[in-house]
Amino acid sequence: MVQFTSKLLTSAVSSMTAQQALLANSSNNIANVNTPGYTRREIDIRNRSEPVSVDSVLRVGSGVQIGDIRRITNEFLETSLRSAGAKQGKAEVKNEYLSRIENIFALSGSQSSIGGALNNFFSSVNQVSLDPSNLDLRLDVLQRGEELVTTIKSAYEEIANAQAELDQRVSQEVDSINSLTRELANLNNAVGLREAAGVAAIDERDQRDVVLGKLSAKIGVKTLELPSGMVNVYLDNGFPLVSEGTSRQLTVTTSPSFAPGQMPPSLGGGILSYVTYNFGTEAAPTHLDLTKVIKNGEGSLGGVLQLRGYAEVTNTSAFQADGELVQMAARIESLTRNLLTAVNTEYLGADENPATTQHEASSGDLNGNPPPVFGLFDFDYSGVKDVDGDGLPSLSDLTASGVDSFSRFLTLGFSSAAQFAAGRDSNTTSGALTIAPGDGSNAQAIAGLRTQVQSFAVGNFSFLGTFDELYNSSVSTIGNLKSSAQIEYDVAKQSYSMTSVKRDEFSSVSLDEEFANVIKFQKAFQASARMIKTASDILETIVGLI
Amino acid sequence: MRRVSENQSVRMLVSNAQENKRRLNDLSNQLTSGVRVNKPSDSVDAGSIARYQTLIAKVDSYGTTISQAKSFLEFQDSIISQSTEIITRAKEIAQQAANETLSSQSRAQLAEEVYQLRDQFANLANSNYQGRYVYGGSDDDDPPYDAAEYDEPASGPAKVRYVFDAEAGTADNKSVRVTDGISVTLNTPADQVFGTGLEALERLSRTLAGFKTTPDVSGTPDGTGAAYTFPDEYHAQTEDIRDAINLLNTARDIDLIPERVSLGGRLRRLETGQALLELSKNSAKEVLSRLQDADETEAAANLQQAQTALQASYAVTAKVLRMTILDYV
Repeated sequence: MVQFTSKLLTSAVSSMTAQQALLANSSNNIANVNTPGYTRREIDIRNRSEPVSVDSVLRVGSGVQIGDIRRITNEFLETSLRSAGAKQGKAEVKNEYLSRIENIFALSGSQSSIGGALNNFFSSVNQVSLDPSNLDLRLDVLQRGEELVTTIKSAYEEIANAQAELDQRVSQEVDSINSLTRELANLNNAVGLREAAGVAAIDERDQRDVVLGKLSAKIGVKTLELPSGMVNVYLDNGFPLVSEGTSRQLTVTTSPSFAPGQMPPSLGGGILSYVTYNFGTEAAPTHLDLTKVIKNGEGSLGGVLQLRGYAEVTNTSAFQADGELVQMAARIESLTRNLLTAVNTEYLGADENPATTQHEASSGDLNGNPPPVFGLFDFDYSGVKDVDGDGLPSLSDLTASGVDSFSRFLTLGFSSAAQFAAGRDSNTTSGALTIAPGDGSNAQAIAGLRTQVQSFAVGNFSFLGTFDELYNSSVSTIGNLKSSAQIEYDVAKQSYSMTSVKRDEFSSVSLDEEFANVIKFQKAFQASARMIKTASDILETIVGLI
Repeated sequence: MRRVSENQSVRMLVSNAQENKRRLNDLSNQLTSGVRVNKPSDSVDAGSIARYQTLIAKVDSYGTTISQAKSFLEFQDSIISQSTEIITRAKEIAQQAANETLSSQSRAQLAEEVYQLRDQFANLANSNYQGRYVYGGSDDDDPPYDAAEYDEPASGPAKVRYVFDAEAGTADNKSVRVTDGISVTLNTPADQVFGTGLEALERLSRTLAGFKTTPDVSGTPDGTGAAYTFPDEYHAQTEDIRDAINLLNTARDIDLIPERVSLGGRLRRLETGQALLELSKNSAKEVLSRLQDADETEAAANLQQAQTALQASYAVTAKVLRMTILDYV
């Protein structure tokens, strides 16, 4: 009979221990209610069975036994949260930078746009033909021309600066990716070590999930959990960033070993960097280009690279690269190149002396002087501008000059009101130009270009239309790019937050639940304590019998 | 059973409140700026908006050009009208002088007035508009008619004559673009408007003053004609006066009146152009306003709605977050 009384005590004691363990776990869960990445834990308890013995037939059990402590987590939810985070990271970068570029093409506000500046310039040129020798009207052309040049330059530079900034962000992002993969490798080691010893590495796993979340917000990766509990991390092409306890550190370089020679220029004249892995040494590198894989993947680095654009090492011009920034910059550059070629050519007038191979300008300014080859619009460059020497500005001259982005160097070709060549020589006989001061035929011809269909082309971009149409279509294009980036961002944000909610629903601490449990555990603890009292009473009764 | 955790409810409440706040912010922006589309991404019609904006700016600047061209042409209209009056007055005098009851002395007295008319006429031909010679063609910094002198007589108004100064550009027609693809001629070269008139006045005055004009009948007098000998050549003088009358008629009918008609036509074209531009500007403005401007009523109603929603989400957030099981145990 005493056999059962002692069992009563054993069960009560085991229960008190177990309830305290459960209470301690609840307390820990409550304490971590706001800890990022914390997954709630549960302690498994089960009935402690009695050892089988011959003499006992009735096996009532001997109390409760504490089992393992478990993280309440769902690998599927964690994975989808990571991929939603990666999408959000990419969409956020694109949205942020495109909204900056969009301001260049703003539809309201005081900032002067390229469209407005073009209109002002052509209008002022047209006005000159009302009274071609009027210095005030000519001064207006000079000022409107300066305005156009400045607007184009600053719009282009805004885009070029955004590209340079994004390029800098590439190395920053890669630095943090490198430290995250290092951390992952260390955590992998810790998890492996603990779990090999048979202990659940719950804290390390929590931490690792947080680090993995941070990593996938930056770069598109795939993960694979090994039987050892370690996690391998791969890029989309299978390149391992973390394998078990080691990580591969990425390198950002502007002189990759796979480049054949001269690197292609960026919009601002620098060199775009490449994200690589160096199989060789620092001194003799063997770079593996990972830029494209990362660019096509998700994550903020993917967004940065996609916007910035990828230049093949064999490219010769900044406008051959892909990416939204390059696309918008090419539109501005094509406008600049047309001002330098088509507009300047018209400005020179017909050939004054067809007998010679070189084109001689038949237009002239107030003092009867013909304009130089780049007379209306010019660019800052110390070398030979009219490379083929035919007296006409052409695209091939521009290409041969070695300058890549003319928008950065655009200037006005004349500096005083009198220097604007408004008139044309009426006779085509060669010799000295005779231009009447009131002749505005050259200004008329320039003003007429506004409604003429031109061919705009640079890099992969080409457009057929008038100056105004080019600008208007650019407004449409940036509007579409920005609004689709906005939609992409909104969707990604929404899906990230929905997935977070799902994950929280499953893994996060609910205070109500914990409090209810606390009450439950407390009641059980009190009941067990009561059982000890009961056992003591029984023993007392037995002792009293003696 | 679905679990609801602390983080989850906070996240939901905050993101809903933020969404409502963002909407409220957008709407109040629209209402205060009066513009719904500020950036290209605000509307799918961004390209059209830019096109209409360019169109309006272009119409505005063409409008300035047209009104300046108009005042220039109106100025010319008054010149031509004054010139026609001079020719008419000269004709009256000439008809009076052609009457053979007048003595050659009386004719010489009439010459005085005709000389004055001639000077006025030449001044009109050399008119100046904002510092430029209206009829100088492209050579507008130089008067089209220069004063020269005859050999005979030795002094007086009869000695002076006006010669057309043909230089590079004097024969040019200036023109200006008043809408896309349409240009309007701004001037006519001086000799085409005033040539015959000045010649007629020159011949008339010189004849009345008692000097022959060579070459005969028409052409610019070269100043070599000698004095008439009276009374033998009295009748020849009358004939010369009649020739001058014919020439005055030609000046009026072939040069001045058609020029005035042409000016009127160009002015009407400018006015029609202006009206058309105004019309297309107004319709462009209307479309632009529809595409870009905020609809105040709608925005205000939406603002009210967004405000209510935001208040509701604040109230709910405050209520829900305050609730905890601890209050009940």
